[in-house]
Amino acid sequence: MRTFYGDGRRRLFLLACACAGVAAIVGWAASSDNSARAASGGTLVVDNSFVLPTLDPEGTAGPTQQLVVKAMYDTLLNRTANGKLVPSLATSYTESPDAKLFTFKLRKDVKFADGTPLTSADVLFSFRRLINLKNDESALVSGVTVSAPDAYTVVLHSASSNSALPQILTTASLAILNSKLVEANGGTDAKDASKTDQAARYFNTHSAGSGPYVLGTYTTNSQVTLQANPTYWGPKPQFATVVVRNMEASTQLLNVQRGANEVAIDLSSRQASSLQKNSKLQVHLSPALSTFFLALNMNPKVSAVTSNPHIQQAIRLALNYPAELRIGGPGAVRAGGLLPPGVLGNLPPSAAGAYNLARARAEVAASGIQHPSTTLSYPSGLSVNGVQFSTLAQQDKQDLGAAGISVNLVGVPTTPFLTKYLAGQLAMSQVYWYTSYLDPNSMYTFLPGQPFSERVKWGKGSDPSLEKLAVKAHTTASDTTRAKLWRQIQMQLNKSGPYVQQFQPAQAIVGSSNLTNVVLSPISTLDVAAVGSK
Amino acid sequence: VALVFLLLGITLVSFILTQMVPGNPALASLGLDATPEAIQAFDARYGLDQPLPVQYLRYLQHLIHGDLGYSQQTLNPVAHDLGVFIPATVELAVTSMIIAGVVGVVLGVFAALKRDGALDYVLRIVSLGGVSVPVFWLALIAIYVLYFKFGILPSGGRIDVSATPPPHLTGLYTVDAIAAGDWSLLPDILGHLILPALVLAAFNVSVLTRYTRSTVLEIIEQDYVRAARAQGLPERTIVVRYVLRAALPALVTLIALMFASVMTGAVLVENIFNWPGLGQYAYLAATSLDLPAIMGVTLFIALLYVTINFIVDVLYGVLDPRIRVSA
Repeated sequence: MRTFYGDGRRRLFLLACACAGVAAIVGWAASSDNSARAASGGTLVVDNSFVLPTLDPEGTAGPTQQLVVKAMYDTLLNRTANGKLVPSLATSYTESPDAKLFTFKLRKDVKFADGTPLTSADVLFSFRRLINLKNDESALVSGVTVSAPDAYTVVLHSASSNSALPQILTTASLAILNSKLVEANGGTDAKDASKTDQAARYFNTHSAGSGPYVLGTYTTNSQVTLQANPTYWGPKPQFATVVVRNMEASTQLLNVQRGANEVAIDLSSRQASSLQKNSKLQVHLSPALSTFFLALNMNPKVSAVTSNPHIQQAIRLALNYPAELRIGGPGAVRAGGLLPPGVLGNLPPSAAGAYNLARARAEVAASGIQHPSTTLSYPSGLSVNGVQFSTLAQQDKQDLGAAGISVNLVGVPTTPFLTKYLAGQLAMSQVYWYTSYLDPNSMYTFLPGQPFSERVKWGKGSDPSLEKLAVKAHTTASDTTRAKLWRQIQMQLNKSGPYVQQFQPAQAIVGSSNLTNVVLSPISTLDVAAVGSK
Repeated sequence: VALVFLLLGITLVSFILTQMVPGNPALASLGLDATPEAIQAFDARYGLDQPLPVQYLRYLQHLIHGDLGYSQQTLNPVAHDLGVFIPATVELAVTSMIIAGVVGVVLGVFAALKRDGALDYVLRIVSLGGVSVPVFWLALIAIYVLYFKFGILPSGGRIDVSATPPPHLTGLYTVDAIAAGDWSLLPDILGHLILPALVLAAFNVSVLTRYTRSTVLEIIEQDYVRAARAQGLPERTIVVRYVLRAALPALVTLIALMFASVMTGAVLVENIFNWPGLGQYAYLAATSLDLPAIMGVTLFIALLYVTINFIVDVLYGVLDPRIRVSA
């Protein structure tokens, strides 16, 4: 009898046809993928987990934006992987003894990608636009005015001594734009630029710089393709194309092992360490520029517990730092102070306090608070350099509990967390700080009355001697003196105050072994234009 | 008129809910170090410094003119963003539903016809696994096996990094490549499409298999099917003409709702496979409290469900003559 399925031979034939069809499609696709890969010798692929809504160089600068913008735009100065300043668009500069006046001499052979020569007018436009956009990055040049005595000289005048300015000038936000091109596409450097500038959208489809690459394509939050700039004035980049892809860390781990000319920059140090023995890869672990710390609210109305100096001291002593370093993973280092390694005036790990549970309990007893209890808030779902805030917060709770401080953990999605944290409404927060430029002045914001200290309600006048010291450090010109003063400030913060720094995690960069110059670049993570192939 | 009121209600509810979230859009966009001046400038630029009723009425005023506003994150018009992201998700969702529909229905019919046989047991276990396995886990395993271990398929993206996408016509790369006559791109595009589509289809295949099985089992017990068998009609004719046709209205409803669900719920798969679709856009909008983008996505989803329900209603008439006659 014939059934719905037909006889046996026919069934077998149909099954074979189906299998062959599927195999043909997959094989067709696979062969195409392999041939495409083989043909992509000139393409460097950088896998990165990012949020990248805009490519406006003067917009909000996340790490990926720094990486991409630095490849398309030049800055007056640049820095090496160890943070040393080197010339870029400026061949030289002079600094007045009081560190208020900076004069830059520009290169005369630089042209933007569209062929327009770069002059001081472009520098003026770029800096004035940044100042007048009044965005997050504008604060970098707060109190700075800019002028141009001639076509190849730029003068920056700072209202107060500002020895950090040369370092600040290396960041992507201070990129030099093609003023004519940007103005023609809605950009302005007028006073009301924060309301009238319309160029941001233009930057999502075009670049307007003089850097080694130009923008190819950009898909919001997904992929950026850079093409080599044929008119670049500096050393030609080795890769004709650079693709920066948004990939989850788990996928990056697989891609970098399988691909060629691939770099993964979001693996945790633990994941990266697991690849050390893979001969097809190179693994680099360097201290990251971020510092994890606990922020304690100083306002007794917000928390009588965290504002108590004895409890603050108890928290410093109660944290099991070796255990927290294990959470940080291989390469993480105990933070000697808030400034990360590589920044002038940073402290060695030995400068930080040690774990001492007995003394922590004694401090709790001396606080006069019976059974102290508080809330520790943290951004749930967020991880930095592979360190989960939730894991770290659980360790904090366990450590403080052992010292007699009861902790209620509250994980909050990042945006609501930021709102409450910035308003100074949280008793204790597990947070991190990422320095946006390599200068100790970047930590001035932590001192009483400065923007960051508002988050822990540490107002002006809370610690007059410390504040006086900070003002002196912030406005001193000599690097030797500044380094000494900032160390002194950090030592004082290690003893008292609202910050309990924990560790600096490691930044892992893993690349195919045939690549050269796969090294951590401060702030922008990877200098893609410098990466070559053996 | 009902549709207008429905959409109006959706805008109002979305607006109120977004305002209730304890977050500040300016801080979410500008970052941790935002200065009060920067926040003020941001609020002024997007009209967030106005009272809530004014903000809502302004939004409606623009909406009437087809203007969904500007995304605070991408700085593009929301309508433009939707035009970029929706086609990517449509391509993924359609492929996924074709796979799910064909495989799920065929396996469901086979399972029902072979009730309590070995094949039925295997399919029941597999489909139970399919509905139980988390999609992100399945995605990672699929990438590990098919990309990392065997190198058969790529791990993510819509096209190889060294290839240039086809000229934009519909935003569906497969269609655009065919329209441009660029057949050499097609295998690359399909290769990138297969894996996320399969992962996305896995859950729906399982649901459809189980649902089809139970529906078919119910139908084959009906008198008219028995009568057809008694008349000696071939088994294939009975299944195709009588059983499947009777099952189609219910299956079409389920598949349509599944399609809407895939269109709006592919965020995990899109993230893992770096698929620049609506899910990624909605996630970015939600986590940064990008109100115009959230409203735009919400309106699109509402319209999608309304449209799909309308199409299903029309299809009922086509598939079931009784409905056509009674109407």
